Amino acid sequence: MAKVLEGPGMGLLAKWGMPVPHYVVITEAAQLDALAKANPWLIESKLVAKAHEAIGSRMKLGLVKVGLDLDGAREAAKEMLGKAVSEVTISQVIISEMVDHQDEYYIAAQSTREGAELLLASMGGIEVEANWEKVRKLAISLGSEPTGTELEKLAKDAGFEGDLVGKVAQFAAKLYRCLDEEDGTYLEVNPLVLRASNGELTALDAVTMVDADARFRHPDWNFTFASEFGRPYSDNEKAILEIDTRVKGSVKFIEIPGGDTALLPAGGGASVYYSDAVLAMGGTLANYAEYSGDPPDWAVEALTEKVCSLKGIKRIIVGGAIANFTNVKKTFSGIIKGFRKAKAEGKMEGVSIWVRRGGPFEKEGLAAMKVLENEGFDIHVYDRYTPLTDIVDYSIKGVSA
Amino acid sequence: MSILTSKDTRVVIQGGPAGVNAARRMAEFCHLSRIPFNVSAFVFPPDAGKTVEIPCGSTLVSVPTFSTVEEATKADPGINTSLIYIGPSRAYDGTMEALKDPKIKLVSMITEGLPEKDAKKLRIESERLGKTFNGPSSIGIISAGEARLGVIGGSYDNLVLCKLHRQGSFGVITKSGGLSNEIMWICSQFANGITTAIGIGGDTYPGSDFSTYLEMFENDPQTHAVVMVGEMGGDLEEKAAAWFAAKKRRIQLIAVVSGYCQEELPKGMKFGHAGAKEGLHGEGSARAKAEALQKAGALVPATFGGLGPAIKKTYEALLAGGKLTTVAEDAVPQNLPKTIEEAIADGDVFVEPLVKSSICDDRGDEPYYSGYPASELINKGYQIPHVIGLLWDKRLITPVESEIVKRIVMLSADHGPCVSGALVTIIAACAGIQMAQSVAAGMIMIGPRFGGAVTGAGTWFKYAVENKLSVDDFLSYMKQNVGPVPGIGHRVKSLRNPDKRVKELVIFVKSQKISTPHLDFALAVEEKTTAKKDTLILNVDGTMAAVLVDLGFKVEALNGFFILSRTIGLIGHWIDQNQQGSRLIRLFKYLANYVAPKKREVPPL
Repeated sequence: MAKVLEGPGMGLLAKWGMPVPHYVVITEAAQLDALAKANPWLIESKLVAKAHEAIGSRMKLGLVKVGLDLDGAREAAKEMLGKAVSEVTISQVIISEMVDHQDEYYIAAQSTREGAELLLASMGGIEVEANWEKVRKLAISLGSEPTGTELEKLAKDAGFEGDLVGKVAQFAAKLYRCLDEEDGTYLEVNPLVLRASNGELTALDAVTMVDADARFRHPDWNFTFASEFGRPYSDNEKAILEIDTRVKGSVKFIEIPGGDTALLPAGGGASVYYSDAVLAMGGTLANYAEYSGDPPDWAVEALTEKVCSLKGIKRIIVGGAIANFTNVKKTFSGIIKGFRKAKAEGKMEGVSIWVRRGGPFEKEGLAAMKVLENEGFDIHVYDRYTPLTDIVDYSIKGVSA
Repeated sequence: MSILTSKDTRVVIQGGPAGVNAARRMAEFCHLSRIPFNVSAFVFPPDAGKTVEIPCGSTLVSVPTFSTVEEATKADPGINTSLIYIGPSRAYDGTMEALKDPKIKLVSMITEGLPEKDAKKLRIESERLGKTFNGPSSIGIISAGEARLGVIGGSYDNLVLCKLHRQGSFGVITKSGGLSNEIMWICSQFANGITTAIGIGGDTYPGSDFSTYLEMFENDPQTHAVVMVGEMGGDLEEKAAAWFAAKKRRIQLIAVVSGYCQEELPKGMKFGHAGAKEGLHGEGSARAKAEALQKAGALVPATFGGLGPAIKKTYEALLAGGKLTTVAEDAVPQNLPKTIEEAIADGDVFVEPLVKSSICDDRGDEPYYSGYPASELINKGYQIPHVIGLLWDKRLITPVESEIVKRIVMLSADHGPCVSGALVTIIAACAGIQMAQSVAAGMIMIGPRFGGAVTGAGTWFKYAVENKLSVDDFLSYMKQNVGPVPGIGHRVKSLRNPDKRVKELVIFVKSQKISTPHLDFALAVEEKTTAKKDTLILNVDGTMAAVLVDLGFKVEALNGFFILSRTIGLIGHWIDQNQQGSRLIRLFKYLANYVAPKKREVPPL
């Protein structure tokens, strides 16, 4: 699953015949003047300016401005562009027309194990969250198309009346098609409104998530994916993401400022058990990280450097289950290099390291790690005979078994 | 007994090198379990018609490669299982092909990054066909002592430690590959090991899931309990709980779920596997899953750490209840045959070496020339002549010696296109022959008449000096026993038209504070021979030979100085001809003197 920002998300809806407001994405406020010459709506309509970044609660942060004229939009864009919001610099602003409307509705399509489902409510905006039980659903099994009758029934059940029933059913059919054809995993239009000027259902705002793994069959996906956790990726995260796309296996890294325990575990499954164990023991996570699939040692080294650079950490958990084919000696050599570099840069002061691992070449890997004991590291090395997450208990209780 | 895969399993592996690696791992397991190798075929169109050799114990088994599954199952109708090692963009088609083959009952997909929609379609199609589709992103399936599909179980040492050569009583189902290994290890430490372990993969929509496999385990009398490792996201754990609670089950269920951390972390932050994500409205949380499983009667330790004791408790209860009895362990499983390298490293065998080398050792991280690391020589300012000294004479030559060697190499690097070596290289280059062969052709010309007299000259000058012969005695000895003196005489050079290279070399060597008995002797010889005939000068071969013997080089090495130097020129000629785009050279007829008999009739046979 991968999130697509508003601009390209709107583009996907429009591609499949769903009306969306006019919009432009700009990187400099001055671009608006040239755009206004080609797009009369920028002059004729009231405008909305929003920071075009994966930042949560944009409204609260003052990153959404409504009811603007062109000058107001230019001012808003100028103010937002280049502004730093929680370590992220805003680099794009989306300017869209305000669509004159009365009622707001909610519609979504999401992928399910059996196929997909459509979700529909005759109320939109934040009201739908508060009245979630009023949302009506229609399951669509894989490979089939919802019939007009089914869609109209869904609309009626959700409380739509009159000619709106047919309009909503048609919009729903398009939304489903878009989900199916674009390998969508979740498409949410909230609010969906009736444009007063022409009586057309229009998607005012959209959450768009697609299956990143399907990229190979969508050559027209010219967008990059945005983060899904309410803030854009940091530079450190981007650096590891970039490595991840290039190497065999995987390396993952997400920062969580303020935590006392850094994770450097192996395996998508084990890493989550390590995260759980840290919290269960009363620790706080400084990051999430994971490497798996026998990545090259230099990639693990790069990940290690990022982990060691986390501010305010007291301990690093180098955990892992018994690998199937990841070479413990080779991946550990990357970690060891990273540790040595971090120590030379003075980053390991007051940081303890806790290691537990098994798998191919485990003896050699663990022995190499143990050598760090003699180099002034506060390091504790355990083998397969110590249960997986016990090192977390030892590290936080400060007891070495 | 076991589920999904057994001693009757025969496998086709679809895909390239990763599949071959898996086959090797599977062969190791077959060796451990003393069962026949169960991979019958590969399907990999680029290599169709070839065979792949897989080490099984101490032998190699040839496995044929086909371009379609149909060809594979036709060649071995016993094939009933396919493993998918195909890249994500083609994995769907390959899997469909396997599912549709009437012989194939189980398809397990190792491929990661398959689009969700493709995975969904494959699951639905497999259900329609009444087949099992495991994965995507599955580490594999293993039935202890019976069959291994994929690399699940890891290294051979781990297979032994986890007692995977014989059946235990615990079934294992995990999404994570690493954790499947961990659970097998725990089951062997805290209980009697596993029956079958299945990695279902961590994708959002796995094929066959927990409930399907639980039902199979329920029907396997050997399996008494199942360990299930779940994750936040989706509803497969809830479905497993519903299955377990639906009626009284023979098997016991021990389950853990990960993802409690999601409660305290920023919403939407993605952890671990693709499928490990809560719904947008909080569905599929770890806590909800654990509670559902607990309510259904499963043993659910609060943390992963509680799994070992829970498995131990279950095992002991099974023993106490008479459901299981402890059995004496079989003899220690057989070792994997060592490779010759491993055996040598462990001191198990002695191998008589085939080759002895006394100049260069490449067993470290760089070559050592006569004991000196190449990088250290570079960093300490040594030059090519020193390397020549080390590799040809096993010694670090002095700066003066190095300078002389350098000058010799520079003076003999080339002598124009007309000499036989260069001419042959040029002819070869013009015939479109590659560099190595063209240069070698030129080098074949080096012999007694062209450049190859250095060793000969050195040998005889050394003989004369060692035996303190006078010049006259030497010349008459040579005349009687050897013939013309090597290193004396030139085709075009003479006293009046001296060879400047010789002159320069002699002047430089004589200006150095070194003893030069051989050069002095050679010059004395020249004095005598040129008195007889103008062209009987000390030529460049003879001069090099005398000087190099004075420097202490062995006579065997001497021709090497000319060969090495002239290679520089020959390579230059080859490059030169290629850059000019020269055409094929053919000798003009007027340059050939035809003296063969005139045309005549061939007599009848």
